[in-house]
Amino acid sequence: MTNDSPIAGEFMETGQYRNCPVIDMHGHYGPFRGIYLPKPWADGMLEMMDRSGVCCIICSSHSSLVDPERGNREMAQVVADHPGRFYAYRTVNPNYPEQVKDEVARFSEDEGFVGFKFHPSGHSYPITGDNYVPALEYANEHRLLLLSHTWGSSEYDGPSLLGEVADRYANVTFLMGHSGYGEWEAALAVARERANVYLELTAASRVSGIITRMVREVGSEKIVFGTDLPWFDPHFGIGSVCFSRIADEDRHNILHRNAERLLAPFRARQEG
Amino acid sequence: MNWFDCNCGFGVPAKPSGGVLPRAADLLDEMDFCGVHEGLVHHTAMQEESPQTANQLLLEEIRGEPRLHATWAILPPQTGELGTVDDFLAAMRKHAVRALWAHPEEHRYLLNAITFGSLLEEVAAHRIPLFVGPQWEMVTALLADFLDLTLVVAGHGSWGDDRFFRPLVERYPRLHLDTSNYQLAGGLADFVRKYGPDRLLYASGAPDLQMGAALLALAGSDIPSEAKEAIAGGNLRRLLEEERL
Repeated sequence: MTNDSPIAGEFMETGQYRNCPVIDMHGHYGPFRGIYLPKPWADGMLEMMDRSGVCCIICSSHSSLVDPERGNREMAQVVADHPGRFYAYRTVNPNYPEQVKDEVARFSEDEGFVGFKFHPSGHSYPITGDNYVPALEYANEHRLLLLSHTWGSSEYDGPSLLGEVADRYANVTFLMGHSGYGEWEAALAVARERANVYLELTAASRVSGIITRMVREVGSEKIVFGTDLPWFDPHFGIGSVCFSRIADEDRHNILHRNAERLLAPFRARQEG
Repeated sequence: MNWFDCNCGFGVPAKPSGGVLPRAADLLDEMDFCGVHEGLVHHTAMQEESPQTANQLLLEEIRGEPRLHATWAILPPQTGELGTVDDFLAAMRKHAVRALWAHPEEHRYLLNAITFGSLLEEVAAHRIPLFVGPQWEMVTALLADFLDLTLVVAGHGSWGDDRFFRPLVERYPRLHLDTSNYQLAGGLADFVRKYGPDRLLYASGAPDLQMGAALLALAGSDIPSEAKEAIAGGNLRRLLEEERL
């Protein structure tokens, strides 16, 4: 192996790297759509995380994508049961605008929530639509994170649509879930041109050469790691980072440093 | 581990999705970077252009490269572009072509006994591995028609195809699966616990997929080291030894 990265070498040897505590910024929780997921619950997810050196994960439960009130409550319990290992995004469903307001009102009630989760494609509702505004205004006021599903050429959450919203809410840190998969040029431009937009690697990481291109054109300081766990094996995504043609400093930024910086205020609040 | 990638390639795609490996030397460089020893290779043009030109192009590109082993793409025998069935098999033997690919969607044919009867009977009898994509209804019908066919389904995975392939694995002993896109969290270990390691073949899916992804997924999985060795290359070497061409 001519890849001389100590991170890659130790991951291949032991499955993890002691100086690189990976943070997964895009997780879910529980079964979904009847698809076979061998490790859908906390114990199985923790087993996968421990095996691959993932120290913590920020999740929205699958149930919350369907019924936010029930799913967010479930996620709050998981966070309470596993402090420091699980954090959460509060999901809103824009198809029920009154519930969006209720979820926003409840945001401060639960520990360990770091922002909101939007899934515009899943809800067939554009990220630019009015029903998201209460969550966006709250996130802007409280400087929260916002992880949104994005996908190339989507009429609901294509990269340029997320860019429009990011321009309106400068205090929100937007994580572009899946990095606008497939519409790479637009997605990279949106992240490069806005201080408050990050690329997130779930699914995107498997595309050969894309991480190298992201680092070259946007910078590793604007990329965070994610897996959709319990969907995707963390090692699959970490392997993509390890074997991209980038420096170990970039690997550290992507796998944990950027996430540590983004999560610092929430961790401080929790510890305080 | 002695890695043998069962699904990798090179060439210039019309619409690159990510990295491009234009020549065999570029693929070898990527294999060296990741520590992969051998590859069962295809040329991008075999799928995007035509087997009758790209099968030969592949041979020219990999000539003198002992780490790269050739595959060819098939076409229905009725139209004759690849010669008669006997001619085709003789050419495979002459050029040490070790496995075949079928691209029914792109090349506009039905991969079934009506279209491919004589060719696939020979392919099955000679135990030549045939690679296809995860078109499960077609795969199910094909296996029912050719019980002895050594079939490798490549690129299945990211949305959880286990409910498609597990019934087929239980019924057809010569069905194999590549791991290029088998990302399911805990999927490899779960499969090996239930079915053993013999039906899985390590693959990168390069140049479309990042070569290191499936590599670390297997290296880091919760399965015994001898099972990892088998999936990393042992199973593919066994299949190629079983070939009777």
